[in-house]
Amino acid sequence: MAVDDAVRTALEREVGVEHEELLGEISATLTRRYAAAVGDSDPLYHDAAYAKSLGYANVVAPANFLPGVICWSEGAPYDRLREDGTEADTHLPGVPAKGVRVMGGGEEMHFTRPVVAGTVVSRRTVLLDVTPRDSKQGLMLVARYQDEYVDERGQELLRSVRTVLLR
Amino acid sequence: MTTPSDLRVGSALAAQTNDTSITQVFRYSAATWNTHRIHYDKEYALKEGYPDVLVQSHLHGAFLTKYCTDWAGRAARLTDLSLRVRRFAVAGETLSIAGTVRAVRAGEERRALVDLDLVETRGSDGETCVEASATVEVPRSWIGEGVLP
Repeated sequence: MAVDDAVRTALEREVGVEHEELLGEISATLTRRYAAAVGDSDPLYHDAAYAKSLGYANVVAPANFLPGVICWSEGAPYDRLREDGTEADTHLPGVPAKGVRVMGGGEEMHFTRPVVAGTVVSRRTVLLDVTPRDSKQGLMLVARYQDEYVDERGQELLRSVRTVLLR
Repeated sequence: MTTPSDLRVGSALAAQTNDTSITQVFRYSAATWNTHRIHYDKEYALKEGYPDVLVQSHLHGAFLTKYCTDWAGRAARLTDLSLRVRRFAVAGETLSIAGTVRAVRAGEERRALVDLDLVETRGSDGETCVEASATVEVPRSWIGEGVLP
């Protein structure tokens, strides 16, 4: 199976529907691991004492940390993984559980506030639009999702529009 | 990278390179719970028509973020980053980022906004992997004389 008109119709039904998800508390270990994986040794991301000397309550996450994390739960059971390994139930509203291959195509991010370890984060996601495009492998759908990340006080931390390619 | 002191439209920022590896791509997938097989399963990547496992689009974004924050330092703040993946990069590729000042705008109080054009190229053939733009809020003192109205 590849994307077809049925997939497109299902996605178009999802356009404009808002989803809200509590992602949880951002742990210092997670943000440090993220920075380590990127290869960023900035002490602001690793050294709590240094971060506190700059007025932060704890280490700060690299700016694109929030959208970089694909899954915030414990992870799906194996029978809920697509063929490409992506989780069928997370963060791509409207995308079928099976038969669709997913690729990242880019992102527009606005960084409103720094994300400090200990912050409790929620995310609102809405599918903005779906555009068909011809590719070498046949029909491809370009879906644009808007994500807004807020802290426990409802203050915006980051908002982004990510482009997802579906084949 | 050095702290800028005379920014103008057209100013070039120092380049930065990132030597990716299979280990790094795996660790980035692990840190972000990215289970897409194209980042760790070479056989699957070959089936999809790629020569090896791919660098994640968000890891490209992380390199671009680091480029901006390294350049900007503590006195400045990255406010926006937009990126478009044009071509894939496989694990093991050396990726180079170059930046140019596209525009300089007045910000609030004693601040200014610097718009950057960024390009990330792969070392194996010089092709562009990612085109990006960023906005960094900087002290107005960084801006060259006569640049702002």
